[in-house]
Amino acid sequence: MEVVQTQTKDVLDVSGLVRRYGDLTAVDGVSFHIRTGETYGLLGPNGAGKTTIISMVAGLIPANGGTVRVAGRSMTPSETEAKRIIGLVPQELAIYPDLTARENLKFFGRLQGLSGRELTQRTNEVLELIGLSDRAGDLTKKYSGGMKRRLNIGIGLLHRPTLLILDEPTVGVDPQSRNAILESVERLSFEGMAVLYTTHYMEEAERLCDRIAIIDEGRIQAEGTRDELITLTGGVDRINLRGGGSTSRAAEALRGLPAVQRVDNDGAGLILTVSDGPTALAGIVTGAGHAGMSVTSVEIVRPDLESVFLHLTGKALRD
Amino acid sequence: MTGLWTMVANDLRQRIRDKSVFIFSLIVPLALMGVLSLVFGGLGEDTVELQPATVVASADDADQLGAALIGAVDSLEIMDVTVKRVPAADVRNETQASGADLGIIIPEGFSNAVLSGQAASVQLVEGDGASLETGVLISVVQGVVDQLAAGTVTAAAGGLSGLPHQDLAALAQRAAAGPSLLTLTEGQAAAEQLSLRGTLVAGQAGLFLMFTVGFGVLGLLAEREQGTLARLRSMPVTGGAVITAKACTGFILGVTATTVLLSAGSQLFGVSFGSPLVVAALILSVVTAATSLTFVVARLVRTAEQANVAQSILAMVLGIAGGAFFPVQGTGFAATLLDLNPIGAFIRGLGISAGGGTLGDVTGPVAVMLAFAAAGLLLSRLLPDRGAQA
Repeated sequence: MEVVQTQTKDVLDVSGLVRRYGDLTAVDGVSFHIRTGETYGLLGPNGAGKTTIISMVAGLIPANGGTVRVAGRSMTPSETEAKRIIGLVPQELAIYPDLTARENLKFFGRLQGLSGRELTQRTNEVLELIGLSDRAGDLTKKYSGGMKRRLNIGIGLLHRPTLLILDEPTVGVDPQSRNAILESVERLSFEGMAVLYTTHYMEEAERLCDRIAIIDEGRIQAEGTRDELITLTGGVDRINLRGGGSTSRAAEALRGLPAVQRVDNDGAGLILTVSDGPTALAGIVTGAGHAGMSVTSVEIVRPDLESVFLHLTGKALRD
Repeated sequence: MTGLWTMVANDLRQRIRDKSVFIFSLIVPLALMGVLSLVFGGLGEDTVELQPATVVASADDADQLGAALIGAVDSLEIMDVTVKRVPAADVRNETQASGADLGIIIPEGFSNAVLSGQAASVQLVEGDGASLETGVLISVVQGVVDQLAAGTVTAAAGGLSGLPHQDLAALAQRAAAGPSLLTLTEGQAAAEQLSLRGTLVAGQAGLFLMFTVGFGVLGLLAEREQGTLARLRSMPVTGGAVITAKACTGFILGVTATTVLLSAGSQLFGVSFGSPLVVAALILSVVTAATSLTFVVARLVRTAEQANVAQSILAMVLGIAGGAFFPVQGTGFAATLLDLNPIGAFIRGLGISAGGGTLGDVTGPVAVMLAFAAAGLLLSRLLPDRGAQA
């Protein structure tokens, strides 16, 4: 039996990217790459540097160091050819309120080089895809927040970009629209589009992304598939103890237990990293009670990206 | 270039759709022109209609020079004058009683006095309702008396030099009644002043141009706030094309609005600005200057709201200093500053054009406006972009 190895091309190659604002280094030596058909996630809390990375990748701002190459072309703010093959969906809505959805799409489509029948056809397809065909002639200032979000994404897709960049596209979106957006991204990825997706929602990263980079304070803390990242925690579980009383004394006492690897106090209770949660649970609850903590609830969390982030940075993803 | 015009067309479509450009660029200035024209339009008119006047006069018909003086008043072409002759003693009372505009008392032996170089006094009695017509009549009498005085002086000089009496009279008569050796010919100076209505129309057009062009470059700040600027920058168009598109939008709106305002103002208020070619050159120049100023404002402010405030202040300062509401003059350095004001130069240029000036005659104002535009563009390149730093 012959094994045929197919080599997929890098659509995006980011190397040693640096961006400074005065004394603050917002992005500090970030490197990653995305292949054709791959969805790559940048997961990190607000202020981690995700949008700054996106801004440099999309050629909105210059980098102070490092390189961005899109399909082999260097990306800078003055570069126009590389911009033809990317589609940007900014975090903030970027649509004209005094134009209809169709006019918004056609305007940005023309700037991307579409014209004539092709422009009309793609506009209709995208309107269908984002579910706005029946409202295509309405001014967008009359749209709901979810409809505006969908149009915001539709504009990024119009010219069939090789690389679609989505910057926190579900922020402030109702659950129904959010699900529609996630389904759209899954479909695009399935059709072979490379996607760079930033989020601070762990569930979105786990659902959508083939590979994930965990970002904090402008640096990539870890990178890999979900399973690869979870192995970084050593396969440990997390136990959330909620309650009052002497949590500090309880934390000290629990650190002495053999199964407990780490104890963090998040103000609302204790977060414990343990090697085998279900087995260790009884001893932990008893120990906390003896140390003066009144436990009101217990939760065992199997390893996830939240655990990885906590493990790598010592803080919760949504701090 | 396709991207550039796509952006320009998009901007124009939005500006037309939100109607603000119509309000600030056409409706408000036209309304202001109408109001100001109603309030001030009557001032400075070129002609005044004089009312018929009545003069009460006493003069001896045998006195030639006295009769000539009354005749000069009676035969005025600029107004109808009725001369009522009464004895000298009754002139004052009759003037008051009849409501006449002027009473004239010519003394007995007036001609002899003038021709012999002796003193003579013509008395005038102003009517109770002394009017513009009274003033005109007094000026006419004064003019005739001045001419006769030349005869008196000549006779007196002749007497001092020992001429015979009959020669003195002939000499005095020639001096008093003969043709003047010096003549004053009136002509049209190369005026830079528009009529008051013309100034109002041109001034309002110039003033509101400053607001109109703001819909262009300053739209960048609105785009930044609504997030579309980031999306534009991610498109395959250069940053320069984005800014140029905004400038083109402001320029097109400025040229259109100013042309419409001057045309409408001409029709509605009966003002003529002269050669369309010269006016077109002036419009293009002033819009260029105003557009360059928006680049400076765009660099200095952080938000669209700040931009509107700054643009309003600049429009009012440049508009008022340029003479949008009334002529402003200064001396020394202030005069130089006022001369460099593009709106002032625009109004000045229209004044020259209205007076029949050609393209060559308006090179001064055009040069001022284009120099202002160049300075604005240069300044905008040197200033840091505060909006981008926000």
